[in-house]
Amino acid sequence: MKSASTLSSAFLQPAGQALPAALLTLRFDRASALANLILPTRKTENWKYSAKHLKLTDDMASTLPMNASAETAADNSSYTVVLVNGIVRPESSNYPTLEGLSIQRFSDLSEDDAALAADLLSKSISDQPAKSGSVNLSQLNGARFEDGLLIQLQPGLILSKPLFVIHHTTANHSGSAYPCILVAAGNNSQFTLVEDYVSSGNCSVMVNTTTEFSLGDGANVTSVRLNTEGQTVQHMGTTGVRQQRSSRFESHSVGFGGTLRRHDLHVRLEGEGAECKLNGVVVTQGTQHYDNHTTIEHVAANCNSEETYRNIAADKSHAVFNGRIHIHQDAQKSNANMSNKNLLLTSGAEIDTKPELEIYADDVLCAHGATIGQLDKESIFYLVSRGLSPRDAKVLLTMAFINELVDQIPVEQVRNTAHTGLNRFFDQAFQEV
Amino acid sequence: MLSIKNLHACVENKQILNGLNLEIKAGEVHAIMGPNGSGKSTLSQVLAGNEAFDVTAGEVTFNGDNLLDLATEERAREGIFLAFQYPVEIPGVSNLQFLRTSVNAMRKHHGIEDMNAAEFMKLAKEVSKQVDLDPAFLKRGVNEGFSGGEKKRNEVMQALLLQPKLAILDETDSGLDIDALKVVADGVNALRASDRAILMITHYQRLLDHIVPDYVHVLSEGKIIRSGGPELALELEAKGYGWLGIEDQAAANHG
Ligand SMILES: Nc1ncnc2c1ncn2[C@@H]1O[C@H](COP(=O)(O)OP(=O)(O)O)[C@@H](O)[C@H]1O
Ligand SMILES: [Mg+2]
Repeated sequence: MKSASTLSSAFLQPAGQALPAALLTLRFDRASALANLILPTRKTENWKYSAKHLKLTDDMASTLPMNASAETAADNSSYTVVLVNGIVRPESSNYPTLEGLSIQRFSDLSEDDAALAADLLSKSISDQPAKSGSVNLSQLNGARFEDGLLIQLQPGLILSKPLFVIHHTTANHSGSAYPCILVAAGNNSQFTLVEDYVSSGNCSVMVNTTTEFSLGDGANVTSVRLNTEGQTVQHMGTTGVRQQRSSRFESHSVGFGGTLRRHDLHVRLEGEGAECKLNGVVVTQGTQHYDNHTTIEHVAANCNSEETYRNIAADKSHAVFNGRIHIHQDAQKSNANMSNKNLLLTSGAEIDTKPELEIYADDVLCAHGATIGQLDKESIFYLVSRGLSPRDAKVLLTMAFINELVDQIPVEQVRNTAHTGLNRFFDQAFQEV
Repeated sequence: MLSIKNLHACVENKQILNGLNLEIKAGEVHAIMGPNGSGKSTLSQVLAGNEAFDVTAGEVTFNGDNLLDLATEERAREGIFLAFQYPVEIPGVSNLQFLRTSVNAMRKHHGIEDMNAAEFMKLAKEVSKQVDLDPAFLKRGVNEGFSGGEKKRNEVMQALLLQPKLAILDETDSGLDIDALKVVADGVNALRASDRAILMITHYQRLLDHIVPDYVHVLSEGKIIRSGGPELALELEAKGYGWLGIEDQAAANHG
């Protein structure tokens, strides 16, 4: 039997960007903890379908250029922070100085703020040890980040425009980037964060991200995640959310496939009356792969969660959805709803969906459903018999499957980008021969 | 306009049409009657281009073109319209978007520029009133949650909207109450024109009280076994299919 392969030590050597002491210490500890980490295989529970797409060769460990810049379109309808290869580019960023709002890069943090960042990171969900049988590769981020953003909203602050964080990855050699965003949303604060992951160049690179939200009582945070990186980008992202009393978290993600796309979203409803709504759309084609793992933990009583994910797979692509709901013993009167519907556009495509429910409280309402289907031939015939091209008929039917989710994205610019990407997807998936 | 010669068709290896012949000229209204299972819907689906049905022999020309060589959407754009016996419910696709895409696909084919949203809305409201459908239905999903009668009126509405050269109506009268039947018949009569042909498929005579056809054909076991004028329908009504030595297969199956 082949011995298990372990993570190369090359992955545990940061480049040495200046950082506050508290963060350096934390990063050093993370790296030490990951020494000799056994890499996932298809037998690893949470990497069953994705391990074969993982490429963690030594060349992938090298740091990507830290002084690269990237063009971004300025737009007055939003605030923008740009990260290139995980490093904040203040010269390309545009956000206001508002009382109660603080957006700082890690290297600028005061000792107190660095302590807060380190605290958020040390409690971050992406840094939790994996369950037995699983491997948590998002921990790599904690061992390698060179920079990051700490976003703090003081209690009651309402940010009227969405804040875009544009993560640009660009390289002329293989390597990896480790962007990190920490959000502390004070009591009753409100804002929308858009994470836009883009890339340029055709090198084989890995982007390993951490986004951590901490929501105070009554905070209302919307997270939008858009992934349009190039085919050669391995993307492994983790979003952790902790919600206190009566807070509300909404997430909208739109993902286009690539060589490997993985997003882990983990929400903990820790205060009574908290609620979350998680929407996700994934489309894959060619030989692309996309794996969404979500976990919703009902820790406190009287919380609501609602999750709706849709996957569409064309050609020989593969989409995975794993949705776990964990209702703790004290989380009475929990209300959890999870729906995952999947559309296979060809017989060569594959979709795997797995709901996992762990319920330890007795007074809960928990509903879940998963389906896998194909476009209905009779419906296509009906539409085409009215003169529609087969492409247009299929586009209408496919959009019917995800329209509701795309329409709910609360930022117009993101909806437009999503539609542009979807049209490109349809052009390839429904090529008329 | 439409010429069908010796048409044979099967579905899932089951032979259904067995040498069907039919000639339809512009301006004419033909009715095809026949017992359940005789192949009426199969004929309509084959003409519209449903690939679930295989044509095994015979030929069909439409205005001189070989119809069977045309893709479904090309047939539609050339002017063939089928009002489905069982219109499909398509939740999530709005009627408005569907119908506008349809109208513009036809226009594009004929080198006419797209109809803008406002023009289209006006037209769609007009034709929906013509068949007594509340224009609010335009915002709903295609046939989604429609009653049987609403689905049939929606089909006639689409025919009025698209102004086809050949309208094939597959049991557009079934499942309608007297009032709805009148609305549908008025819609169909409004379609009658010297440059348009109508092929009405019906199981019963009652639609023919409202829309008087030029010709009536009786279909049995995939073949037309008798043709005549409107009086043939009355005779069938009075004497039943047994009169022609055929039995209603559905009735026989149930009996
Ligand atoms: N999709 C299909 N698959 C299998 N058999 C079919 C299908 N469509 C029709 N048939 C069969 O073909 C025969 C003719 O059906 P149809 O054309 O619908 O008759 P009609 O419309 O005259 O009632 C029936 O025996 C029916 O069961
Ligand atoms: Mg029929």
